[in-house]
Amino acid sequence: MGMGRTWRKSIATLLGAFALYLPKGVLEPEIPENNPLTVEKVALGKKLYFDKRLSADGTVSCASCHDPLHGFADGKVVATGIRGQAGARNSPTVLYTGFSEVQFWDGRAPTLEEQAKQPLVNPVEMGQPSHDAVVQAVLRAPDYPPLFEKAFGSSQVTIDRIVQAIASFERTLAPFSSPFDRFLAGDKNALSDAAKRGFQLFQGKARCVTCHEFNTSFPYFTDNKFHNIGVAMKGNFEQLARQAQAIQARGDKEAESSLAHKPGVEALGRWLVTRAPRDIGAFKTPGLRNVALTAPYMHDGSLKTLEEVMDFYNRGGEPNPNLDGGMRPLNLSQEEIADMIEFMKSLTDDSGGKNFDWEELRELSRKTRAGELVAAPAP
Amino acid sequence: MVKYMLPRERKRQQYLTERERFFAELPKLSRRDFFKTAAKAAAVATAYWKGFPPHSFQLVRVAEARETQPKFTFAYISDTHILDKGLNHRFVKACQKAVEDVNALDPQPDFVLFGGDLAQLGKAEELSIGKQLLDQLKAPVRMMVGEHDWYLDMGEKWQEMFGKPTYSFDHKGVHFVVLNSVIVEDYWTEPKMTPMERMLAMAQLDNPNGRPFMVGEEQRDWLRKDLAQVDKKTPVVIFSHSPLYKYYRPWNFWTEDAEEVHKILAPFEVVTVIHAHTHQVLTHRLRNITFHGVLSTAWPWPYAPRGIPELTVQMVRADPFNQFDGCGWGSVAMRSDGQADKHYVLWDRNPMTVTFDHVRRGKEGMAEFAKPLHGKVDWPSY
Amino acid sequence: MINRRVGLVVVAIGAMYAPLFSCPASAQEPGRHELPPPPDGRSKVIGLCDGQTTVVVPGLAPGERMSPGQAREVAEELMRQYQGKTLLAHGGAGHTERETRVWEAELKRTIDEGYKLFHSPELGTNGISCDMCHPDASNTHPETYPKFQTQLKRIALLRDMINWCIENPMEGPRLADDDEKMKALEAYILSTRKGVPLAPGKH
Repeated sequence: MGMGRTWRKSIATLLGAFALYLPKGVLEPEIPENNPLTVEKVALGKKLYFDKRLSADGTVSCASCHDPLHGFADGKVVATGIRGQAGARNSPTVLYTGFSEVQFWDGRAPTLEEQAKQPLVNPVEMGQPSHDAVVQAVLRAPDYPPLFEKAFGSSQVTIDRIVQAIASFERTLAPFSSPFDRFLAGDKNALSDAAKRGFQLFQGKARCVTCHEFNTSFPYFTDNKFHNIGVAMKGNFEQLARQAQAIQARGDKEAESSLAHKPGVEALGRWLVTRAPRDIGAFKTPGLRNVALTAPYMHDGSLKTLEEVMDFYNRGGEPNPNLDGGMRPLNLSQEEIADMIEFMKSLTDDSGGKNFDWEELRELSRKTRAGELVAAPAP
Repeated sequence: MVKYMLPRERKRQQYLTERERFFAELPKLSRRDFFKTAAKAAAVATAYWKGFPPHSFQLVRVAEARETQPKFTFAYISDTHILDKGLNHRFVKACQKAVEDVNALDPQPDFVLFGGDLAQLGKAEELSIGKQLLDQLKAPVRMMVGEHDWYLDMGEKWQEMFGKPTYSFDHKGVHFVVLNSVIVEDYWTEPKMTPMERMLAMAQLDNPNGRPFMVGEEQRDWLRKDLAQVDKKTPVVIFSHSPLYKYYRPWNFWTEDAEEVHKILAPFEVVTVIHAHTHQVLTHRLRNITFHGVLSTAWPWPYAPRGIPELTVQMVRADPFNQFDGCGWGSVAMRSDGQADKHYVLWDRNPMTVTFDHVRRGKEGMAEFAKPLHGKVDWPSY
Repeated sequence: MINRRVGLVVVAIGAMYAPLFSCPASAQEPGRHELPPPPDGRSKVIGLCDGQTTVVVPGLAPGERMSPGQAREVAEELMRQYQGKTLLAHGGAGHTERETRVWEAELKRTIDEGYKLFHSPELGTNGISCDMCHPDASNTHPETYPKFQTQLKRIALLRDMINWCIENPMEGPRLADDDEKMKALEAYILSTRKGVPLAPGKH
């Protein structure tokens, strides 16, 4: 992306480049070459993000499930879509997802742009019959064409432009304003002793850091890879896994594809994307920034608190034939677990930092939820 | 050295290469593709080798396609290195995982070969934990001994539990021979080593004072007699803990009297050696003999600094964070032509299959097996 | 003091070791000692028989001779310069055979101790030892550190990875960086790669 970055910088300057703040030493995110980050696109994206009119019945926006009031998640076990339908998986936070190489719990989208396209037409999420219907919904709102004009140079509305704007807004949701960030910047008093001990355990005995990758260049606590830690091992999972394997052993591609697209098979995880047997029940390592705000946890929201999460790991996850070989009982004491939770709490951002105004977005969320606003006011 | 060939001979070679490649592709084709390819190959045959009637080529191909169908399969679990109860949970867990995987195979293999090194230090307790784990297998088990099982009490306990280490059996037209190929000359009596000192010396792979493994004269005599009764056209499969060829002496990836054993096997048309001890993906071929290594459930050995057989496509280095990486079990499909297709189930990785067609085509053929093969899913064992 | 009294300017060129006492009066190829030209017409450059050390004696007209006392001072200064360059660390004496033997024995003892630890399960708690994955310390690549270590997700030194292996596959307590056992392990591992070029960061 070296070339892309140069291109982005030069052209974006003309269009009002959005200067994304990054702490010293943090690598720049990969931004698609055809979607440079600009102030105008971010503003348009923010409006679209809070706009319920994008959904089939005007009740659900991006912010419904990725809510600034809940750490840009929703605090629910699984997402709720139009007509109160329950989704299949727990809503992950949107914070810092601009730095991810893969989106969704199973990694089926490579970019935020591709990610944003899917909930719009998912029948149990925003429920639009087609992307064209989304474009029509945007066109029906008279305040949008001038904003597209500003952001893209013409008032034409397309699904690609819609998701490019939403993705641009989402890329700014990176506050770097937590006590841990201040600790990294040199304020040794920013963390309590307990949190410091927890950070040591995180990198050592508790074996977290190998998957929840942390270093100065990439401080988001995820390796962007997929692991089976056994969370899926419940309900009809074994039956599903056996079914998937039997179909693959037969070499029946049609049956395989049909199974992968059936509702209720989400527990197969990464397998749905790769169809590799070793990916059965494997899910993306989520980042841990603001983890204290985004309960409940895991891809199915099955663990209610960080204490439950720590107990799960401490016993070595849930045994199953595909359990990642890195999982094993950790023998952490209750004190050590408490220290680790202190550390995780230190990853909570105080504000939107230099990249956005979190309080403003909270207010927007409250108002759109209460029906006082349809979407964010035009900038 | 490149030998000069007459144009006619060169054409024939070209034709044969094409044919070989074609055969290698066959097992991967669907019925429809098969007919398509058959027609194409007939054209190739006509163009390259006019002296060879395409009609007979097709017949050969169809016959070959039938030949490579597996006649039966057996699985293997090996090098579990079980330690005292309570001391080590990892190796017990890994062996249990392999047992569960093999038990989940459908259809079940005809039998399971245990490749030796059940125990780490030959202790009765280690062997008995190992036996309990293997007793859960649904398919019958064929046991082989490794040096880690043998050198604490010179095989006393092991033989009490599992019987003689050297034996043969016939199964569906294949003659199987199991050897104790971890015999070394006595270097412990003179320095008055205790049994445990001897065991620890043998258990150290990189022991500079170690002695090379061998089959030994006594077993070679036995082998000669055993094979005297076997028709030379009967496929022979040898199970040996040590590689039964010379790979790397400092780690005893080595059998000192390998050449003499090969001589005994020379009259047989088709011989396959399945060996343990090296804990890695390993392929070798010498004249009539194809050699396949097997995986350990406990840990992978690195490839030796030199001497790696040319045919071997190496598995990528394992990540020690993941106790299963680079480990696993596997199976062998015996084909009607007596050759073996060797399957590695590498936990947490894509499986690898080294078919005889890959081996026969040499390095070029082996380059292909690194690609994931579809159709056979035997892990994870839900 | 000589500087103050006769204003000796010392010009020492080069710092290569050359054995002083292999330079008898018969001087092998004396013509080789190429003295730098004097800075002006009233100075003289005097060279030592190592072929490198020189002093500049100012205030000497062409053809003028130094007094015997002055000459002695110049000779002493040349020796001081020579010793300062080459034998400072050992007080002017070469290594004795005893010293060399001690160093070799100490290094060997440390390497042997490392070899023992490397081949023993005592560093861990589960019966696993280093040599089980690294026979002859193979695949330890000590010459590639520091490098980004994927298990640690940061830059690691060899000792960090030794500790990682102790804590993870071997399930033992980590060693302090200055623990004698850590030094011994590093000594053994490095001894197996003698002569291999350093390649920090190589994967």
